[in-house]
Amino acid sequence: GDRLNGFENGKTQLLCLCVRLQVVLKIIKHYQEEGQGSEVVQGVLLGLVVEDRLEITNCFPFPQHTEDDVDFDEVQYQMEMMRSLRHVNIDHLHVGWYQSTYYGSFVSRALLDSQFSYQHAIEESVVLIYDPIKTAQGSLCLKAYRLTPKLMEICKEKDFSPEALKKACIGYEHMLEEVPIVIKNSHLINVLLLDLQEKSTVADKHELLNLSSSNHLEKSLQLLMDRVDGMSQEIVKYNTYCRNLTKQQQQKQQYLQRRQQENTQRQSRGEPPLPEEDINKMFKPPQAPPRMDTLLIAGQVNNYCQNIKAFTSQNLGKLFMAEALQGHSS
Amino acid sequence: MSRFFATGSDSESEESSSADEITPKATGTTFSKHIVCCPLRFRFEELTNIIKTIRNAMKIRDMSKCLEEFEQLYRAFLKSKTIVDKEGVPQFYIRLLADLEDYLNQLWEDKEGKKKMNKNNAKALSTLRQKIRKYNKDFETEIVSYKEVLNCSPNDEESESEEDEESEDWGSDSVDSGGESEDNEGAAASLAVVFLKKYVCFNLELLSLFLFDGFKRKRHKKMEQVDEEADEEGEGEEGGWEKVKGGVPLVKEKPKMFAKGTEINNAVVIKKLNEILQARGKKGTDRSAQIELFHALAGISNENNLGEGILVKIKFNIIASLYDYNTNLAAFMKAEMWKKCLECIDELLDILFENSNIFIGENIAEDSENLAISDQPFRVRGCILTLVERMDEEFTKIMQNTDPHSQEYVDNLKDEGRVCGIIDRLLQYLESKGSTEEVCRVYLRRIMHTYYKFDYKAHRRSLGLQGETKSEQDQEESEGEDSAIIMDRLCKFIYAKDRTDRIRTCAILCHIYHHALHSRWYQARDLMLMSHLQDNIQHADPPVQILYNRTMVQLGICAFRQGMIKDAHNALLDIQSSGRAKELLGQGLLMRNMQERNAEQEKIEKRRQVPFHMHINLELLECVYLVSAMLLEIPYMAAHEFDARRRMISKQFHHQLRVGERQPLLGPPESMREHVVAASKAMKMGDWRTCHSFIINEKMNSKVWDLFPETQRVREMLVRKIQEESLRTYLFTYSSVYDSISMATLSEMFELELPTVHSIISKMIINEELMASLDQPTQTVVMHRTEPTSLQNMTLQLAEKLGGLVENNERVFDLKQGVYGGYFNRDQKGGYQQRQNYQRGGYRNQNQSSY
Repeated sequence: GDRLNGFENGKTQLLCLCVRLQVVLKIIKHYQEEGQGSEVVQGVLLGLVVEDRLEITNCFPFPQHTEDDVDFDEVQYQMEMMRSLRHVNIDHLHVGWYQSTYYGSFVSRALLDSQFSYQHAIEESVVLIYDPIKTAQGSLCLKAYRLTPKLMEICKEKDFSPEALKKACIGYEHMLEEVPIVIKNSHLINVLLLDLQEKSTVADKHELLNLSSSNHLEKSLQLLMDRVDGMSQEIVKYNTYCRNLTKQQQQKQQYLQRRQQENTQRQSRGEPPLPEEDINKMFKPPQAPPRMDTLLIAGQVNNYCQNIKAFTSQNLGKLFMAEALQGHSS
Repeated sequence: MSRFFATGSDSESEESSSADEITPKATGTTFSKHIVCCPLRFRFEELTNIIKTIRNAMKIRDMSKCLEEFEQLYRAFLKSKTIVDKEGVPQFYIRLLADLEDYLNQLWEDKEGKKKMNKNNAKALSTLRQKIRKYNKDFETEIVSYKEVLNCSPNDEESESEEDEESEDWGSDSVDSGGESEDNEGAAASLAVVFLKKYVCFNLELLSLFLFDGFKRKRHKKMEQVDEEADEEGEGEEGGWEKVKGGVPLVKEKPKMFAKGTEINNAVVIKKLNEILQARGKKGTDRSAQIELFHALAGISNENNLGEGILVKIKFNIIASLYDYNTNLAAFMKAEMWKKCLECIDELLDILFENSNIFIGENIAEDSENLAISDQPFRVRGCILTLVERMDEEFTKIMQNTDPHSQEYVDNLKDEGRVCGIIDRLLQYLESKGSTEEVCRVYLRRIMHTYYKFDYKAHRRSLGLQGETKSEQDQEESEGEDSAIIMDRLCKFIYAKDRTDRIRTCAILCHIYHHALHSRWYQARDLMLMSHLQDNIQHADPPVQILYNRTMVQLGICAFRQGMIKDAHNALLDIQSSGRAKELLGQGLLMRNMQERNAEQEKIEKRRQVPFHMHINLELLECVYLVSAMLLEIPYMAAHEFDARRRMISKQFHHQLRVGERQPLLGPPESMREHVVAASKAMKMGDWRTCHSFIINEKMNSKVWDLFPETQRVREMLVRKIQEESLRTYLFTYSSVYDSISMATLSEMFELELPTVHSIISKMIINEELMASLDQPTQTVVMHRTEPTSLQNMTLQLAEKLGGLVENNERVFDLKQGVYGGYFNRDQKGGYQQRQNYQRGGYRNQNQSSY
């Protein structure tokens, strides 16, 4: 009942996302314990909607399980967990999920599908993307995304043909909308944090000035290159399709013309005209390649580019700073 | 009783006896009394029954039945092993075996009968025959003794007592022939008979069987007699035949040819000649006899001085019929035929040279021939050139069909001199008499026999080594002209006069080959380029293509000898990359193609093979190719270590490298390939000394390098190349480690002179392969350190990929527009592709080009 309080007809915009520090720490911990390298960890977000903002008050991880663990039922596990949490009087409403990412690679078909099913079932749900690598470099990186209503429409139709996407006027930049995050704590925790800040030394923050950046960049470039390759392939596919289509169109045209000529001749001779029903059977239009993947790749590439841009500009800043410092000291 | 048989019986029976013992034991407890006598009778009855069926089957020639029953008999015999061991092998069993074998052999010999037999029967016959032959080996002694009985007792069936007596007789008889110890044999025979007596009375059937056996034996005996008689007759015949053969020679045949007293003149001889000719090609004609007849006719016409005209005519026919002797195109001439053929052609040429008033030609019609001695010159139809060409082909065929590693091959090869001699004489003859067309043809023959031979004499002369006292040396010197001059003269004539493309093509190829063989690289190359053969050789017929391939290979090897590694590599690339060098050079058939071609194609391909003495050494070829690939590829690989779009220069070479890497355990190199791979690895590290030791050593010398005529020079060239390329590789690989490097050090490291090092480095700098500059006063190379880092490399790659992406995108757009070259200025399109070598040089241009 209370679920629909702020979210009627799905028209209300989710303006803000309040995340409790506890959730953030839990996610980080989850990754540190179970995630490794390019492996991804996932979990469920719990919380509630208050007016135009979504409050995420708790979360729990999906357990890692191997393929041969057939008995394991994820849904059942989730239900169990939520029931248990309810028993200890914790918010138990399912409001989304979280996922870790590896160098910002998260725009994928899998994410799209699961977020769609979430958003389809629970209007307000979001996906939290946590970037452990950036976080390790000193700045917490946590982002919340929702599928745009346009994309939701398309996903509902399940029509990813070029025409449909064209009609929907969707580009890679309109696929996901980012929801601003506010980390909100109780006053007690704020007090504790302020206290801790006092105590912490500057040494802990030296990481920020690290100038060796090539490793990170190399990785990003590699990933970017991989996606660019993928994009090229998609384009080639599309290209072939287009060419086939035009070719067929021409053939069709020729055929129709010939048939028409014949018919006029027949008419002049007083014979009945030939039927024209088989035209679509004869020229089956070639299978159009689904364009969703291209969109996703484009989104991912965009993502990488943003990352690299941010990273390099930061680094440039650092370099200038270092230069200035050097000039100052000498 | 069992003493003899215990020793005589085979191991098989012993084995089976142990197995068979179980059966009686199992049943033995209750019927212990029966076992003693019953099984004996029972078993033998079983055997005799089977034997009877076999005999019946034999009578009606039902072989499959026979086989079936024999197998049963065999099994039954095994079953009764215990008894047999105790009592000995029953005589009737032996008898059957012997009879059956004889019978089968008889059937086997009877070819007619075998043909009539149906398939099943024939098959059964052959299996049974084999089986019984094998099986009877175990009973050899028994069968022999049985046969002796047969031989000396034709009437043993009469009564048992007689048999008994006689059997004792043959016991002693066999001592002489059998060679066995008297006791044993005698005992065996007599005991066998006793045994027989004992069991024969068991039933009537057995008795009748024996009677039948006796009858059979009698018949058999008779048959043998007949055989003997036949043999005698055969001998008689043979003698008679020999006599005839002795009487056959020419003297006897002459009267056959012409009736006595006939005046032998032109007309008669020609008539006779035509008579013989008419038989030619007919089915029943004895071809060798025909040749004899021709010879005889030649003799007659000679005796009667009928003039050279007719003689030439006959000679033509003799040679033609010699060629005709083998109806099969694939078969080659026998040695004596070949000799005869050579002699004949020689004689014919003699006549032609002596009598300049003989005109021969294909286009002279039969009826306008003038064979009689008159004022007019002789006119004879026939073409000596065709005959000689055919002879040359026959020679090739003989060489193709001789085992190249035998003495026979060497002997046959000695005839090459004669063949060349004949061709030379014909050449002289035709030069004075033939048309240009014919001259071209005979020139080509001459060229074909010259082009692949290395002219040692000229080689030595060019080296200034003269005055060697070898007698053959003197001979050679007296021969005169260098082969190069001859080739030049002949080929140029053909270039000028020939009107058929094929002869000219062949001549050019041979000319190039010859140039290449004698290390005249530039002439060879220029000729090859001028001929434009590369463009249209695929339209030529296979033998010409093979010649082309041989020429290309020789050209490549020549380039290698001259130190033009790149040219060598390019020339050999096509042949080597296919992996079918052997086939392409016509030096052998590839096994893996066996399924693809049928027998007919295989025959055709076999006919195309180049005789062994003209072969190009395949290992040498591969080695030259791999070494030149190594010299090109290793520095290239070092220079383009980070390049994502690096292209392989030589796939074959990379393949060898990969094979080398896959080896789990790397021992010292054995084969030529392993040597090259090991050398490549050393070169990769810039270690030229190791590389050198792998490429040039005892093994490689004997395998490859010693095959070159100027082996020392080639080796020196190789060492130098290895040093230079190793230096380059070293600089590519390790330049990032150095700030600067002294050229003196480099020259010491690679044992190259300072100017050489200087020039190599300068070249690298000019080509923007090495980012460095030379510091003249200190003689050092100063590195610029502009090598891109891996991140930069990656960025370059990304840029390239993006270029591709944009291009693809544009194509989509073009399609939408319906016009190619809309929207963007298409001139820029090239920009993406041109920038393939971003790596070193291209990297800088990047800023200049805008897109």
